[in-house]
Amino acid sequence: MSTRYFEARDLTVSYDKVAAIRDVSIGFDEGQVVALIGANGAGKSTTLRAITGLKRPGRGEIWFEGERIDQIAPAKLVERGIAMVPEGRRVFPHMSVRDNLLMGAHTREDKAGVASDLERILTRFPRLRERLRQNAGTLSGGEQEMLVIGRALMTKPRLLLLDEPSLGLAPLVVRDIARLILEINRDEGVSVILVEQNSRMALRISQYAYVLETGRIGLEGASAELIDNAHVRALYLGG
Amino acid sequence: MEQILVNGAILAANYALIALGITLIFSIMNVLNFAHGQMFMFGGLIVYWTVAQLGLPYAVGLAMAAVAVGLIGMAFEVFFFRRVMRDSTREENTMLLAVGTALLLENAALSLFGEKQRGIPPIVTGVYRIGDAFLPANRALVFGISLVLIVAILLFVTYSKTGRAMRALAQDRTATLLMGVDTARISTLGFGLGAALAGIAGGLLITVSGVNAGIGTAISTKAFIMIMIGGAGVVSGALLGAVALGFIEAFGYAYLPGSLTYLMIFVALILFLLIRPQGIMGKPWG
Ligand SMILES: Nc1ncnc2c1ncn2[C@@H]1O[C@H](COP(=O)(O)OP(=O)(O)OP(=O)(O)O)[C@@H](O)[C@H]1O
Ligand SMILES: [Mg+2]
Repeated sequence: MSTRYFEARDLTVSYDKVAAIRDVSIGFDEGQVVALIGANGAGKSTTLRAITGLKRPGRGEIWFEGERIDQIAPAKLVERGIAMVPEGRRVFPHMSVRDNLLMGAHTREDKAGVASDLERILTRFPRLRERLRQNAGTLSGGEQEMLVIGRALMTKPRLLLLDEPSLGLAPLVVRDIARLILEINRDEGVSVILVEQNSRMALRISQYAYVLETGRIGLEGASAELIDNAHVRALYLGG
Repeated sequence: MEQILVNGAILAANYALIALGITLIFSIMNVLNFAHGQMFMFGGLIVYWTVAQLGLPYAVGLAMAAVAVGLIGMAFEVFFFRRVMRDSTREENTMLLAVGTALLLENAALSLFGEKQRGIPPIVTGVYRIGDAFLPANRALVFGISLVLIVAILLFVTYSKTGRAMRALAQDRTATLLMGVDTARISTLGFGLGAALAGIAGGLLITVSGVNAGIGTAISTKAFIMIMIGGAGVVSGALLGAVALGFIEAFGYAYLPGSLTYLMIFVALILFLLIRPQGIMGKPWG
């Protein structure tokens, strides 16, 4: 049993018998933005992959909205309200922007709802509206990030996992994306787990944060406090 | 000259069904379907069986060919390819499997239908004249059915929800899974649809030139040539490859002695691939 909105308890995930994360526990309440930061190879993506079922945990439990979800197939989790934007964005490059967005609605039968969500997302991302018929592979990095976030929103998620949305983007674009994540969280009531190498941005927009260090949670706490933490400053915020 | 163009167009339309089918399977599964020609052959022989032996109407035979070969394709995906792809870490394994399925079908056809050349009488008789060219009504019908099917497939892949999921799967399997798509189901459907197209192509061609249990390899070779010309895994490439091969063949048979046509095609193909290894529409590898 778990009484929290989301809880991952003692997750251990291994690739070919080598543990990538060990005893990782994460929990938060509805409507929060939670950050997961850490160095390259610390196990951030692995944690997200475990939550979405792309990689089964060897040990541990995952609970969401009062139900245990760690044995549910990835495709079914989408219907349960969990969406993930994977590392490296992964648009469907030879598909139009419109078709990319419609892929997000694949499991939905409510045609009217899909149409109005599409409209709402295009209003939020005017750049995408201008490029509706363009192939997604020809978009800029920032536009692709907007597209994959929009695509994830088309699944109507209640929990959104974002894996390094700022990767490879110019500082100004990173600011746009950060603002966007906050807006989505506020306007749509979507809870967010944000994985970032850009720790400063992640700590600014989250309420709570976990620091992964070689597969274990090294440190956790309110984001506002972690920003001032000497250890975090030295290791993740460049002093 | 007009005759050659008419013949080329008819061949191209039939080949396009073959090329579309093998492209569908290749792009969705990342498997080169070595058994594609054998599936074509099976489609032809099923039409022979239902029409010539059971005396059923041709339309029924063609539908049976599509369904039966489609089911064979789906069964291959579920029982063979899915398992091997899940458990093996080397691509050669699926290739060997694909060759194995070709042998399996060929031997099944030999024991079910024997090795004789089989044909059925033309579905419609009569001859049209287009300028100086003669177009037997039967070939016109085969051409028409092929065109309708090609358009239907393109519309399905472009506009239907399932077709869109197939394209997505071909481009990024993980991202597709994250959209909530039942990727296993889509793979099975894709394999089945690709196979059904091969079966239909065979079922159409048997009314023109007949089919025997041994033609599979030759047809598969043609399918490979088409996707090498056009570019593997790209629909536009498949169509282009089909048109190219259809017309080259028509011209070759008109102007060159018998077996020289394919010798020339192979030589030309090798030279072409030296210049453009990814085919006309394909993306360069790497
Ligand atoms: N498919 C895989 N096979 C084997 N090992 C893997 C695989 N994916 C990740 N690992 C290993 O697991 C560990 C954690 O990787 P993970 O991708 O989760 O880190 P990360 O924190 O997301 O890193 P980055 O910031 O570079 O994205 C690393 O040591 C990595 O080499
Ligand atoms: Mg990562």
